[in-house]
Amino acid sequence: MNSMANDVLVIGAGLAGLTTAWQASRHGKGVRVIAKGWGATHWHAGCVDVLGYWPVDSETPATNPAATLPDLLAANPQHPYALVGLARLAAALGGLQHLCSDAGYPLVGSLDKNWRLPTAVGAARPTCLAPATMIAGDLDDDTPMLLVGFKQLPDFYAHLAADNLVQQGIPARHVVLDLPALAGRNFTTAVNLARFMQQSDFRAAVAQAVKPHLGKAARVGFPAVLGLEEATAVHQDLQVQLGRPVFEIPGLPPSVAGMRLHRILKAAIEKNGGQVHEGMEAIGFAADGGRVTAVHTETSGRPRQHRYEQIVLATGGILGGGIVTNHAGEVCEVVFNLPLRHPENRLEWFRRDFLDKQGHPIYRSGVSVNENFQPMDGRVLYQNLYAAGSTLAGFEAIRERSFDGVALATGYAVGNLVSN
Amino acid sequence: MANNIWQAQLNIEAHTLKPVELTLDHCIKCNICVTACPVTAVTDLFPGPKYVGPQAGRFRHQGQPSPDHSVDYCNGCRVCNMVCPTGVKIAEINGRARAHIVQSGQVPLRRKLRNNLIARPELMGKFGQPLAPIANGLLHSGFGRFFAKLLLDIAPNAPLPRFSGERFSRWAHKRRDAVRSDRKVVYFHGCSTEYFEARVGKAAVQVLEANGFEVIVPSQNCCGLPLLSNGEFAAAQAYHESNIRHMVDYVKQGYVIVGTSTSCTLTLKEEAPEMLAYHTPDARLLTANTFDIHEFLVHLLDAGELKTDGLRPMPLTLAYHPPCQYRAHRLGRPSTEIMALIPELTIIESQAACCGVGGTYGYKAEKYDITMAVGKPLFDFVQQVHGPIAVCDSETCRWNIAAATGVPLVHPIELLAAAYGYEPEGPLAEVMT
Repeated sequence: MNSMANDVLVIGAGLAGLTTAWQASRHGKGVRVIAKGWGATHWHAGCVDVLGYWPVDSETPATNPAATLPDLLAANPQHPYALVGLARLAAALGGLQHLCSDAGYPLVGSLDKNWRLPTAVGAARPTCLAPATMIAGDLDDDTPMLLVGFKQLPDFYAHLAADNLVQQGIPARHVVLDLPALAGRNFTTAVNLARFMQQSDFRAAVAQAVKPHLGKAARVGFPAVLGLEEATAVHQDLQVQLGRPVFEIPGLPPSVAGMRLHRILKAAIEKNGGQVHEGMEAIGFAADGGRVTAVHTETSGRPRQHRYEQIVLATGGILGGGIVTNHAGEVCEVVFNLPLRHPENRLEWFRRDFLDKQGHPIYRSGVSVNENFQPMDGRVLYQNLYAAGSTLAGFEAIRERSFDGVALATGYAVGNLVSN
Repeated sequence: MANNIWQAQLNIEAHTLKPVELTLDHCIKCNICVTACPVTAVTDLFPGPKYVGPQAGRFRHQGQPSPDHSVDYCNGCRVCNMVCPTGVKIAEINGRARAHIVQSGQVPLRRKLRNNLIARPELMGKFGQPLAPIANGLLHSGFGRFFAKLLLDIAPNAPLPRFSGERFSRWAHKRRDAVRSDRKVVYFHGCSTEYFEARVGKAAVQVLEANGFEVIVPSQNCCGLPLLSNGEFAAAQAYHESNIRHMVDYVKQGYVIVGTSTSCTLTLKEEAPEMLAYHTPDARLLTANTFDIHEFLVHLLDAGELKTDGLRPMPLTLAYHPPCQYRAHRLGRPSTEIMALIPELTIIESQAACCGVGGTYGYKAEKYDITMAVGKPLFDFVQQVHGPIAVCDSETCRWNIAAATGVPLVHPIELLAAAYGYEPEGPLAEVMT
């Protein structure tokens, strides 16, 4: 057993950090990922949203991201997608699809088309890549559906989703199961239910309970709990037992579908000899001669030093904890205290309405980088420091629905840059 | 790096000063801890870290009965802390909640007696070790186990250790002048090495000496962790204060404390000060100068000071479980980094969250089945790797995995000592011949 070289240290284990580490380790680099905890991958829907709405205040979703992206780039040349370029974005999507297919969990879609898939409240959600387990929920198809809830799962309201879908012209009914296997519980979680779903007798009980309610339903929707490690097999088995297409609807975090992507990426990194450490919070660093020489993490006793050739910052933005704000109006990047682009005046952080279609300016805060994703302050700050994902400035991830696309594409780009 | 006051405050906060209960305000209810909890995954008796920790914590107040007794089913593995994206000290919140239940007299007498007995390995060791053959015979007989269950509710199949024939500190005392050096370290052996597995301490001393250190073995007590995890805080604090008294003068002379028991070193560094809210200057000195042995060896390796030449090849493929109590140090995998230096040794790391034993948790009749269910993926993994031995840093995990799988377990430091050419003892000796 040989020690890996200390080539690339990635700070953060969301989609951006894991993608960076996956790409760098694929090129034979010795990679270590350090993360305060699990995060983004457990919170998001397990799909890859590239561009859902443009302009950001548009009432109608983008149907074809490839056709809409040039407008976005022309209007916002600082956008991370502009730094990545559409070719690398497509390569990143293709790379992830390939990885997931190899893991037996295909992601379906392409840049030319957004799916319109139902959310847990029955709204239509534009997304670019979705797992095969979700595709039958496509709302461009108006065949009748039955939505299945579980009495003990408080995170999914089948009646609410069905009612909202009916109002949008999709014939939808619901049923809430009270299975004997769960009868002793006051409640259960999506993850526990996903583990139950991997047992064939539990699945058989689910199918038996659903069948009398099928009626004219041509497809059956479940909350995204159809297995964790064995999702594809669970999904296929339910389709066979119910005799019609089955789909999952992602809901409240923690997201089982997001955890599947986390597992696949982590396994790929570890297979390539990389390490992924959670519970390791980066709290500081040392620099010399324009290079970061070490990153310090908090431990039980005293900070530990990590000395790596290249450092990638993928700690997320304000939502992920990579950028913090305080009541005094300061906006701060938590590891390197990098200069940030953000609204100068605290009064400009938010618009008046919580759901304003323009989004809130504070959420565009982030690190400015050059074309090589190196943080800049007029000049490159550290020769061996890169940033990826929501840490980057200048995009409205929430309104654009571009979190996953930016994370994946910038992580992919940086992972390849640090491997050259 | 900390070039504004605010950043400096963040750093201090991240270290020691954040009171355990206040961290519950950082909980955003995302439930990631619930998805990672190995106990929740196997039993409905434990609803999950978020529910019994930061959530029930809002309803716990001094002088009032605890609203939620399911917190006692937390096994203290700290996986929840490790995966929390916002830094909530969930396991510590649970530990303090359990202590509140214990202090308010809500534990039945028989269980309180039992917990106080199994939480005192030092006491058991002092009485049991001198009579090792008799004590082992009794402890491991069906007769002894029957009465342990009947009288004290101790699980009949609990993975109890065997007393060793020789106390480690006697061995250390006999050879205390063997190596003299200006470079000194203090060795904290803990109860397991002292009374049950002297071979681990011998290996540690040999490795440290081979690297030019004189090893001081001061008088010491149990670290107090078993008492902390059984909610007996007053007794735990007495042990912790005694350990500080015995060791802090060495720290003040510039020597560091090195331990081979991952849970003892975690207790000295963090668990005792945090759970007991005991932050005296001396306690902080101990925190800042205590090292797990592989953490210490990695420091030497990074500084180019670790002896890495002439290591004996070890053509073995072994399963290694990084115990949850070691991961909770937040150091990564120092033992894996050191074992990687040994030629021809292939280490396959387990991905399991926890072996289930949780220190004394798995000895309790009402929790034994949960322990075995939590540990099952790990037990299966160890059997699949099919090595003649398996490797783990933490003693109660070693005993539990060995009892469940029939595969003998060793501490990783025993592998390095053998690679340095020292004569191994116990399971490793049989493999090396």
